[in-house]
Formats: sequence, structure tokens, C-alpha cells
Amino acid sequence: MTELTCIVCPRGCSLRVDGEGENISVTGNACKRGEAFAVSEMLHPMRTICTTVRTSFPDAPVLPVRVSAEIPKERIFDVMREIKKVTVTKPVARGETVIENVLGLSVDVISESDMLLHEKQEG
Amino acid sequence: MKRIDQINRKLQKRFGGAVRCEERDGCRFVSGTLDTWQQVIEACDTAAEKYSKTHVVNDIRCQEAKPSALRLPSLRDQALEGDAPDVLIIGGGISGVSIARELSKWKLNILLVDKEADLALQASGRNDGEVHPGIDLGKGSLKHYYIRRANAMYGRICEELDVPFKRVGQYVCFDKGYLKPLVGLYCLWRKYHDGIEDTKLISEQELRMREPNFSEHFRFAISNPSSGCVCPYGLTIAYAENAVTNGARVSLNTAVTAMQVKNGKIISVTTNRGTLYPKLVINAAGVFADDIAAMAQDRFFSIHPRRGTNSILDTKAGVLMHSIASIKELTLKKTHSKGGGILHTVHDNLLVGPDAVETWEKENTATRKESIDTVFDKQTKTMPKLSRRDIITYFTGVRAPTFEEDFIIEKGRHTANIIHCAGIQSPGLTTAPAVALDIAQMAVGLLKQEMPVEKNDAFDPHRRGVPVLREMSDEQRAQLIRKNPDYGVIVCRCEEISKGEILDALRSPICVPTVDGVKKRVRPGMGRCQGGFCSPLVTKIIADEFGIPISEVRKSSAESVITYGKI
Amino acid sequence: MRNYDVTVIGGGPAGLAAAISACRNGAKTLLIEREARLGGILKQCIHDGFGLVRFGEKLSGPEYAERFIDELQRTDCETRLLTFVTRLQRKNSGFDVTLVSRDGVETVHSKTLVLATGCRERTAKQVSIHGTRPAGVFTAGTAQHFTNLLGELPAKKCVILGSGDIGLIMARRLTLEGAEVIGVYEAKSTPSGLTRNIHQCLHDYHIPLYLSHTVTRVFGVDRLEQVEISKVDETMTPIPGTEQILDCDALILSVGLIPENELAETLGVSLSPATRGPICDGQLMSSEEGIFSCGNALHVNDLVDYVSESGELAGKNAALYRGGKREWVDIHAGKALAYCVPQKLNRKADNHETVLYFRSREVLNDCRLTLTVDGKEVFAKKYRFLRPPEMERLTLDFSSYGIEKDTKIQLEIEVKGND
Repeated sequence: MTELTCIVCPRGCSLRVDGEGENISVTGNACKRGEAFAVSEMLHPMRTICTTVRTSFPDAPVLPVRVSAEIPKERIFDVMREIKKVTVTKPVARGETVIENVLGLSVDVISESDMLLHEKQEG
Repeated sequence: MKRIDQINRKLQKRFGGAVRCEERDGCRFVSGTLDTWQQVIEACDTAAEKYSKTHVVNDIRCQEAKPSALRLPSLRDQALEGDAPDVLIIGGGISGVSIARELSKWKLNILLVDKEADLALQASGRNDGEVHPGIDLGKGSLKHYYIRRANAMYGRICEELDVPFKRVGQYVCFDKGYLKPLVGLYCLWRKYHDGIEDTKLISEQELRMREPNFSEHFRFAISNPSSGCVCPYGLTIAYAENAVTNGARVSLNTAVTAMQVKNGKIISVTTNRGTLYPKLVINAAGVFADDIAAMAQDRFFSIHPRRGTNSILDTKAGVLMHSIASIKELTLKKTHSKGGGILHTVHDNLLVGPDAVETWEKENTATRKESIDTVFDKQTKTMPKLSRRDIITYFTGVRAPTFEEDFIIEKGRHTANIIHCAGIQSPGLTTAPAVALDIAQMAVGLLKQEMPVEKNDAFDPHRRGVPVLREMSDEQRAQLIRKNPDYGVIVCRCEEISKGEILDALRSPICVPTVDGVKKRVRPGMGRCQGGFCSPLVTKIIADEFGIPISEVRKSSAESVITYGKI
Repeated sequence: MRNYDVTVIGGGPAGLAAAISACRNGAKTLLIEREARLGGILKQCIHDGFGLVRFGEKLSGPEYAERFIDELQRTDCETRLLTFVTRLQRKNSGFDVTLVSRDGVETVHSKTLVLATGCRERTAKQVSIHGTRPAGVFTAGTAQHFTNLLGELPAKKCVILGSGDIGLIMARRLTLEGAEVIGVYEAKSTPSGLTRNIHQCLHDYHIPLYLSHTVTRVFGVDRLEQVEISKVDETMTPIPGTEQILDCDALILSVGLIPENELAETLGVSLSPATRGPICDGQLMSSEEGIFSCGNALHVNDLVDYVSESGELAGKNAALYRGGKREWVDIHAGKALAYCVPQKLNRKADNHETVLYFRSREVLNDCRLTLTVDGKEVFAKKYRFLRPPEMERLTLDFSSYGIEKDTKIQLEIEVKGND
């Protein structure tokens, strides 16, 4: 038996997972997403990353970015390292890709904001 | 006058043979070994005479007091090497800067040094800012000699230096009605004997009318309308700026570490920024004044630091009272420990405190919960509506009294080219303008013996501070914003400080490009959010103005790193 | 002088929603924001989890805010950025609003006001932390500003005091950026933040959470060098002898938020001691006619979705406001409730569906919320648990309860087994 806290929504249900491998049963969830979370968490925990990427804009030195879909939990710091290598030099719109298919995970790093569209470039 | 044998008999009785007193060169040296600092204070007090010019010099080894090394700036350069000012002023507190300003009325090469990253970082920036009436000072002391003259100077000096000053009046409140006739006589005595002209007694009703939120238990009060309040660090900075505009120099992060003295004369002064060769040294070093005197081989007094903590309350609490108040309780204990008072500041906060605790640590300004409790326990008796919940911040300062509890304003006793402005504690902020006049005169007198000293005809007594937009009419404000739109960009929401005012502070005569430096000059971060919203913005403005990375902006000293660089 | 029907002060999530809804309801609307960009604190809340209730998606703060900003741009709301309200005065059946900006000083007139001024963070001194005053003591929001807006690392090895959500989020954020978070210390015996944040921000990164502990002193003259941690008793008083010194270069405080109502107070708006926001009715109108409140200025929310909801309601009601006498009836919140918003029911207006927000005072399991009207139970709802960090929302139709002027409305929580 494993106890988990569901992180899908702010409700934060306490989940109880019984069984092993593919044959598990989940209780304590208030919705379907909770069950899916528990199964995923037991087999291959996935997480999202929200962070920033450097820019060349003096009044907006960083741009918030996120991964377009969840990535394996154990790859978080690998992806962080990739994001740190990048500097955004052109205005990108919200949802626009900053790093395509990061580390071959079939996930893009995308901009969270339109903020650079209104920023002045250096010089 | 206590006799030395009487003192030693008392010391013998109290401490066995652990300490003894010896009179030498017109001073009383107390030496021996004691366990606690409290005992040291007691022993020296036994030897000391209030207001006497025969000073106690403390040579007692104290087991409890582990001497901590003087905190020195990390800066090491040769920027001042070989500099030979006519006057070297040590200490950038109110004493030092006011002397610098008065001396700048003469054509002199004046250099003021302070070891801290800004002016007024010790006692002058850590007190309540009261301009005292002198009601508690006895005739015969230097404190008394200066207080009335200095108090009367305040209106003009603050106008010249463009700093806010309000004569809000002070009340000493009594809850025992039967004391009224006695206190009335006391007031008359103070008035006619000691020249505290404006002192008078007011009735319960009168007090209630003026300050309706004071305790209902008060039966009468002494009223001192000449009492006022000023921003103590604001005044210090203003004085220094005026001195600099008139030709004096200020070197911060500059600590005096040694002096070379020959034949009763200071030849050179060693600092972390090079060796100086001043004609005359003025010792305005606050708690370190006795250390400076020792370096100058002119040690004839001791400073015993006394710590005090003040709380600053939200401007919302500022509406509770509009003056300065303290409560007089009858107590048989003759101690310096006190719970201060309540003061409505020039910025409309309330300031509550300070307490008074003897300490051997000259630089320990850490706050303690006990201090806040002591002060509030006492001051809620004056004004029951006072609430700890309104506290937005608190700070500790260290006073620099001698055991005689009076100022030392005189030429060196053993060394010819030094003037001491020492033992400056309350009401030292009040007396500074008058003391500075006397010391400047003394200094000019001494210098004239070796060089011609001429008046500085170009001296301009007026200093223009940074405009305070929040206090202006809409029209005035709009006019300034038209000239400089940055005055219309509010950076600090609590205190309503604009980007323009912050930039003005960064371009002022003594630029201190730190977050605290800006805060002291134009107040962003002084309000109820304590810089929560504006400190990153102020940091960025400083970085942009000087073209440096944000990680190179400091809170105050060179080591007070704010951020560690780009993520 | 320019005239508006509705002036919204604050361009964060509450203000954005209020401005949009005021416009949608036909009001000539002015939105005032003191910063250069709209979005308020959401600009620096780059983590995801916003908007699940409203959009059914996990959005980041900027994404959530920008959805509203895009929507605002489709209305004819007038927006002023880098503009600060210096004065509010009641004038000519409305308000004079004095504004300062790079363009100068201007006074405009507005029939109604929506105060969406958000909240500020409680500081170190307000939780009685003593010692020196070094650099390196930050509120979580300030640390977040440095990190997420300026791209600067405020800490290398830090202690976090308080388990509020921003503190938990910052624990994860700083860890991701390579800083070491020694632990999160919480004076209460239960966490202040959402359970899922304890899980995904602390557990995921092996950051310990210490309950019933607080920071009592800080050390270091220039930059923070150490903090003193003490255990606390049930009254959150430090227990002597339990002190422990930790080496660190930063202390990050997430010790509570205080609604910003200094402007409201200048107009005589009554504040609730429980929420520190204006006392209001179901229309979100404060004690002062024509002044509405929403978002975190009204009460501190844990979900932005509810902030937007209250903004929409306040904006709409401000737009539709035509004066008229109100009749307020108290909604009494029982001892087990930390508070209930609104605190009043306007018998003349709140006679359809009224949204109630409440929090329990303590963690309660298997409990039942009841609404009684003159002692008669008219509504009840069971909860498996109620936790103070998690605000609850209810929609009630008071029209069927026969509310009279002197009716006593009481909200209570009963715990199973106790009467």
C-alpha cells in the first residue's frame, strides 16, 4: 500500500494505492484524474517544469518558460541545464517554442508570456 | 567632590581588593579585575562624579567582556595616501558633519572620514530624533550649557539645510495628582534658575484636549513647547552635503587604525586608504572616541556604551498622538535604565523607546525581544492604545556616554593638535549645531597659530534637498513632473517615492549608491512593507544608473551582497 | 475633468476581471495600474497550477494573466499604466481620483470604485524576528521578484520560514536554480500552504518541513550568516532551550499576507479584523456606498480563480450600481470558521444566488457546515475535511430563506461526534 497526495488540482486528495505493477487500485480520489495520476506516479512519475530563460532585453532580463507537456521526473535537472544554455534574442509570443524537442523528450520548451513583444531591444 | 581614599574605601567594601582607583594627570584610573560588566559600571560609577572634568578612565579587566575587534571596511587602497588636510575630522555622525559644515565657512582643507559605508550609521542614525528642551539637565554641565542655545538654532538651521523639523512640544506626564505643587515648584526652579523659559505645568483637562489618547490616569503634565523632532540621519546627511558643497571632503569606508605622535603632536594618521598628515584632528568618533584619544596619546576619559532600542510604528498609529511624551513614575532606583517615550516623527510614524542597557559591545546593534517588551510595557501606560501590532520595524543604537555623563568638548590635554568632541549622547543631536560653532572656533584658533586662516566668502549656508513630491500640492507636483517625468513614476508605494527622487539621491553631493543609502536619503523601503515591493526596483535603478550588474549593488557595506548573480 | 462610471484600482487578476466585467456591463471604465505591465503578482508567479477551476487547464501565472489581458484589449476599457492613485475623495455622488504618472497629476471623476489593490507580505519584524539587519532576509515575494523578473539568484543556501504557498513555490524554484534549501520551518502545527504544494515542491526535492518551529534570531552584520531556530509551543511561543543555529546565507519569509486597504481606509471603509479586508455584502460593496472590493484586497485567496470570480462580481455590480438604500443583515460566522465573506447580506439585492467564501479555523475531519436562519437549519453540507489553507466556496440562494431585517443568519461547522 502506498499513500500519495494528488497534485493534479488544488484539492490535493490523499490517495491510497494498493497492489503492484499494472494491477493497482486507487482509492481516495475525487475524480478520474486522480486515478490517472496515481497510476502514472507509481509507474513513471511525470512532472512539469516552469522556469525562466535569459534574454538580451535590458528591461526583461528573463522570460518565463515551461515545458509543453510533462517530462519524466528524473529528467528535471537535465532539462534545466538545457534551458540555461539558451538566450532569447528575439521577441517570442506566448506559446511559441524556445527549445524544440528538448533532449529528445518529444516536448518543447515554450514561452509563458507575450512580454517580450513590448520590450525595447538593447542599443 | 569625592576624595580618592573615600572612593577606594567604597570599592574595597564592595569588591574586596579586586579594583582600586588612582588619581593621575587629573584623571581617575580604575583598575583591577571583575567578573561582570555590570560590576565594572558600578566600580567606575563609584569613582565618577557627575558632570566633573576629572574623568574616570576604565582600566578594569572584565571576564565577561570579550573585546571584539573593531569592524573595519574591507576596502584597502591608497586613495588618501599623503593627503595633508588642515583639519581631519574622525566620525561622520551629527557631531563630525556639523563641525565640518561650520569649518567650511573658512578657507580650509577639511577631510571627514568615517569607517562605515554611509554617514549617520551609528548613534546619529539610531536615535529618536528629539530636539530636547533641556528640562532634565542641571546647570553646570556642558549639556546644559549648550541645550537652550542649540534648541533655539533649530528652526534656522533646518531651514538652511532643507530638512523637516517640527516643534511638536513635549509632555512629561504624571499620574499622581498630589505631586502637582511640588512639580510646579520644580518647573519654576528650572525656568528661573536654569533658563528653561518655556516650561510650564498644564492641567489634566488641557492635556486631554491636546492629546486625547493619553492615559486617563494622568493628572497633570509638564509641557515644553520648544521641544521638537527632526530626522536625525536626514539632518546629518544634510549637514555633510552642505559642508561638501562648500569645499569639505568626505571619505566613507575609511577607518583610522593608528596615529604617530611625537612630542605631544599627531604627525600622521593611518587609515585603510593611506596615511594622512593633518595639521589638526577632531575626534568625533562616538563610541570609539576613547579609542581615538588613546591613539592620539591623549587618553583621559572612557566611554561606556549604552544600548537602546526603538520601535517604529505604522503611520496609521501616527494619528494617535502628535507630540513627544513620557511618563514620570516615582522610583527610588537611581538607574539609567529607562523606557524612553513616544514620539511622533517628522514622517508621521510613531517612535517608541528607547530603553537603556549597559553593554561592553560598541558595535552590537542587534535587537532583542526584551527591549521591545520593556519599552511597550512602560509606554502603554502613557498611551493605552499603543499596539505592538503596529510595529513596522525596530532598531538598536549604542550611546557613547562617559562615566561623568557629560560631553567632553575641549582641546587635547596631552596632545596639542587634537580637539575632542566626545561623550556625546542625548541630547547630543540637539546640541550639535551649537557645539559645532564652538569647536569650529576652537579649531580656527589653533590653526591660526601656524597658518593664516581666511573666511570662505563663497560659503553658501543653503543646501537643497531632494524634493519631496508627496508633500507638494498637485500643481507643484505636476510642474516638477513636466520638467522630469521620472518624478511621476512611483517606485515605493508605501511612502510614495518616485524614481526621480531616487535618481536625485544617487546624484546628490555625497552619493551612497546602496539600497540603504537611497533609503536613508529619500525613504523607499521605510514604510509598512519594509521594501518588500520596492527593494528589487531600487536595486535595478541603482544598477542601471551606474551601469553595473544587479549582483554588484549592495545593501550597505561592500560585503552586504543582495544577489549572487544571474540564475 | 474626465468622467467614468467605474474606476478599477489595481491591474492584477482581480482588477483585470473587474475591468472586463464592468465594461461588459456597459460601464465606461478606467483601469489603473502602478506598474509598467498588467498582471500584478502573477507576472512573477511563473509556476503552473492556475486556472484549473476556471479554464480546466493548468496555466502559469503569466499565461493566466495574459488571457485576461487579451480579453481586456477586446473591450473599450481605458487602461493607465505606471499610474499611481495618490488621493481618493468622495465628490458629487461619486469619487475624485487623483492620479500621478509621467504625464503629471490628473484628477478624474468616477461614479464607483473597485478596489483591487491586492495584498502585501508580512515582514521579518512583524513576526518578531530579532538580531542584526543583514542583507539576505527576503520575503518570498521579494525573492521571487529577484529570481523570476530580474533573473538574479537571491540565495545559495537558505532557510524558509513559513509554509505559505509562495514559500513552498520558492523552495522548489531556488532548488531548480541550484540553491540549497535547508528546510521549511513553520510555527503552526499544520502547514499553511496547499497539500499538493507540500508534495510537489518539498517532497519531490527532499526538502524537509519542520512544523512547530520558528526562526527567533538572525546573525550576520553584512550578509546573513546564521539563523536561530526554536521549537514553539501550542501558542507559538518559542520554547527556551530548544534553540539551534543553522548556517545559511538567506532567510526567506512566507509568513502571511495582509490585504492592502490603506486607500480604502482614507474613504472610511470599515475593515474586518478577521480578513483585514473591507466588510462587504453579496454584491461585494463595502460599508461605503459605491466602493467595491475584490481579490486579495478583500480577503487573501489561495486560488486565483476565485480572485477573478470576485473581480468579475465586483466589476459587474459597480457597473450596474444605481444607488438606492441597502439593508444589511449580518451573516454570523461560528467559532469554527476563521471567517466568511461576505460578512453581510443586502436584503435588497442579495436575493438570488450569493457566493460565500469561508475557511475553517483549524483542520477538521468529517464535518458538516450548516446555515441556520433564526435557529432553523436551512442548508447543510458535509465535508470530509476542512483545512485552513484551503478556502471553500458555496453558492446559496437566500431568497427562499425569508430573510427579514432582524433575521439571524448563522454559519456553523459541526464536527461528527461532537454536538
